[in-house]
Amino acid sequence: MKRLLHAPLLGIMLSTTALFALLNPTFAQDNGTITVAQPTDALTMDPAKHSAFPTANIMFQLYDAMVTMDGEGVFVPALATEWSNPDPLTWRFKLREGVKFHNGEDFNAEAVKFTFDRALDPEFKAPYFSRIAAIKSVEIVDNYTVDIKTAKPFPTMLFSLYEASFAAMIVPPKYTAESPDALASAPVGTGPYTFVRWLKDDRVVLKANPDYWGGAPAVENVVFRPIKEVRTRIAELTSDGVDIAADIPPEDVPSLESGETKIATIASDFIYFYAFDTLKESPLQNKLVRQAINYAVDVDAIQQALLGGLGTRVALTLPTNAFGYDKAWQPYPYDPEKAKSLLAEAGYPDGFTIALTARQGRYMKDREIMDATIGFLAEVGITVEPNFLEPGVWATVSEAKGREGIIFPGWSGRDPDLVWYPILYSGQYQSYYANPALDTLLDAGRATLDPAERASIYEKAAAILKDEAPHLPLLTPPLIYGLDADLKWQPRTDSIIDLRKARFE
Amino acid sequence: MLGYVASRLLYALAVVFGVSVAVFFLIRIGGDPSALFLPPEASLEQIAEFRHSMGFDRPVIVQYFEFLVRAVQGDFGQSLRYQQPAMQLVLERMPATLQLSGTALLLSLLIAVPLAITAATRRGTIIDRTGLVVSLIGQSFPTFWLAIMLILIFSEKLHWLPPSGRNGWQTLVMPSIALAAYSTAIITRLLRSSMIEVLQSDYVRTARGKGLAEGKIVFQHALRNAAIPTLTVIGLQVGALLGGAVITEEIFAYPGIGRLAIQAIANRDFTVIQAFVLLMAVLIVGINLAVDLCYGLLDPRLRKS
Repeated sequence: MKRLLHAPLLGIMLSTTALFALLNPTFAQDNGTITVAQPTDALTMDPAKHSAFPTANIMFQLYDAMVTMDGEGVFVPALATEWSNPDPLTWRFKLREGVKFHNGEDFNAEAVKFTFDRALDPEFKAPYFSRIAAIKSVEIVDNYTVDIKTAKPFPTMLFSLYEASFAAMIVPPKYTAESPDALASAPVGTGPYTFVRWLKDDRVVLKANPDYWGGAPAVENVVFRPIKEVRTRIAELTSDGVDIAADIPPEDVPSLESGETKIATIASDFIYFYAFDTLKESPLQNKLVRQAINYAVDVDAIQQALLGGLGTRVALTLPTNAFGYDKAWQPYPYDPEKAKSLLAEAGYPDGFTIALTARQGRYMKDREIMDATIGFLAEVGITVEPNFLEPGVWATVSEAKGREGIIFPGWSGRDPDLVWYPILYSGQYQSYYANPALDTLLDAGRATLDPAERASIYEKAAAILKDEAPHLPLLTPPLIYGLDADLKWQPRTDSIIDLRKARFE
Repeated sequence: MLGYVASRLLYALAVVFGVSVAVFFLIRIGGDPSALFLPPEASLEQIAEFRHSMGFDRPVIVQYFEFLVRAVQGDFGQSLRYQQPAMQLVLERMPATLQLSGTALLLSLLIAVPLAITAATRRGTIIDRTGLVVSLIGQSFPTFWLAIMLILIFSEKLHWLPPSGRNGWQTLVMPSIALAAYSTAIITRLLRSSMIEVLQSDYVRTARGKGLAEGKIVFQHALRNAAIPTLTVIGLQVGALLGGAVITEEIFAYPGIGRLAIQAIANRDFTVIQAFVLLMAVLIVGINLAVDLCYGLLDPRLRKS
C-alpha cells in the first residue's frame, strides 16, 4: 500500500517530462510578416482619439497625413503633393489625385476638410487638439485643392499636418460620418496596410494594401505586439518571435549586434537638458552661476559612460536636425576650474545648495544622468538635493509652476518655435526664464513665414541663449531598436515607426 | 444556516463599499489625468478646458456620489484613454486572467497535495526533505525574478517556449509556473504539517489499531480533517493568484486585467482603476464567502455555531 503513495509524485514527474518532450522548438515565423514589439498596445484605432506614440506607430501604417518627413527630418509630400502661401494667413495644398481609402472611398479635398473639422470640434475632445489648434478653418478651393486658414501667420504648419500631429491623419468622410464610432475598432485609411484584427493587449494584425499610392509594401503582413518588460522584448527578438523590438537599453546593444539580430539606432528629436529656475530667488538668477554649471558638467563623459556614446550632443536646447540649428554652434566646454572661478566671481566661492526637480525612470537613463550631474556639480561645490516626482505629481506641480532649482523636463520639436517658445518665453507656464529681448525675437520668429528671415531671427536668439545660459543643454538621446538580422528598416528621429519601405533580405 | 449566510453577505457588502470609497479618493490624491493626457505643449487654458469638460474640477465628494449612483446601476463610466466603457475593458480581459490564475491554482494543487501527503506519511525521508526545500525555494523566489529566469532558460537558451503573449497552451506554461510557485509552497507546507498533526491524533491511532488499510486512513480520515485549515489558505491564495497575475502578466506580456490595471494606474485612468479594483474586491470577497460556507459543509460543528 505504501508504494501507492508514490504514485501521485511519480505521475507529476512523468507528465512534466512528457510536457516538455511535446514542445515543438520551432515557433519562428516566415519572412512575409514583420512583428513589431513595443511597450504598449494601441488605445484605439481612431487616429484623432488618442495621445500615445505607440498607438500612432500603428495608425501610421493604416493612415496617411498630408505631408510626411524623410530620414533627414525634411517635410516631403504625402497626400498633399505641393504647398504654398498665397498670403501669410493661408496655406494652400494641392492634393494627390487617384488615391482611395481602403473601403473604396475617394480621397479628396472633402476628406481633408472633414478630418480637420471633426478633430477641431470642441465636442470631439481630441487629445492632441493643441497641435492643430492654430487652424482656423479648412476651405475647399476645388476637388483637389484646399486652403488652410490661420488667424495669425503660422510658420510651423507642416508640423501640425504630419503624422506626429495625431489628429492630422486623414480619415474617410462618408464612412466616419455614417457611424462616428466605427473608426475606433474598424479603421479605414489610405495607408500601406489595411486592418485585419485587434486582439486587445495581445496583437494588432495588418495586411499589405496592394493599391497603396506610394507602392505596395514589400512585406505582406504586419503584427504589432505590446510587450512592456524590456527583457521579454529582447527574449522575443532573440528567439525569433519578433523582428523589431523598440526601446532597447544601451547596455544590451553589444550583445544584440551579432548573430541573428542587429541594432538600428538614431539620435531622436527629444532633448535632454536642465532648465534653471530663474524666476524664484536663488543663485540660479545669476548668469555667471548658470554659465558655471554649464562648464562644470562633462556631458561627453556622461554620454560615453551611460549611453555607450550613442545619441547626439547639442549646443543649445534644440535637436541638431531642427530648423535653424547651426552646426557651428558649440556647447560650453568641460572646464571645472573655469566653473569655480565663475562661482567665486558670482559671490559663491564655497558653492551653494540647490534643489533638483525631475521625474525618474521616464526617459532612457534619466536617473543615471542626473546622478552623474549631481556628482560633477559636487566637484565645484554645488550641492544638489534631488526631488524625484511621480509623473502625475510632476504634472500637478508643473501646472502650479512649482518646479524648483535645476529642472530636468525633457522636450521635443524640430523648430525653435516649438521648443523655445513654450519653455523660454516669459510667462509661458513651462518657462522658468524671462528676457524681453529674447521674447521679441521669439515673437518675430513665429510671425514670419519666410525661412531665410526666420533663420536669421533664431540665429540672434541662439546668441542670447548661449550667453545667458538659461539651460544646460545635454544631448538628444538615441532611439535603439533590436532587429532581425535580415530585416532592412530605418528608424526615424521622431520615433514614429514607418514600415512602408521595410523588407527582408 | 440562513442567518449565517445573510450576515456574511452583509459583511461582504460593507467591505465592497469600503473599498469603493478607498479607491475613489486615494487615486485622486496625486492629481487628475488632464495634464498627463494632453501633449506637453498644451497651454494651461487647454488643460483647464479639458479638465472642465471631463468634470474633474468638481468637488471630489460630488464626483464620488455620482460614481456610486451610476456604479450601482452597473455603469462604471468611460475610460479616458480607451474611450470605451471601463467595466467592459476589464471584463474583456477577465477570461485571460481567469485562465492563467486557474491553471496556476490547478498546478499548485496538483503538485502541493501529493507532495504534502507523501512528505507527511514518509517523514524524514528524501521525499520529505525535497518537499521542504522546494517549498522554501517557492516561497523565497520573487515572482518577477522567477519569471525572468524562466524566460532566460526556456526561451532564450533552450528555445522551448515562446516568451510572451497568449497564443495557445505554450504561452500558458511559464506564466502559470511563475504564478503557481508561491502558492504551491504555502499549500505544501501547511497541508504537510496539518497531515502530520492529524496522523498523530488518537482516532488515527485507533483506526490503525482496528487494522484499517493505511491508504484508507490517510485519504479518508486524515486528509479530510487536514483539509479544513488548508482550504482557508487555498481561498486566500486564489486572491493572491489574481493579484499576483499583475506582475506575471506584465512580464509575460499576457493580455489580462493585470496589465490593464498597471497601465490605468500609470495614466490615471480613474474609471478603469475603479472598475478593476471593485471587480477584484467583489471576486475576493466572494471567494472568502464561498470558503466560509465550505467550512460548514466540511465541519458540521461550524454550521450550528
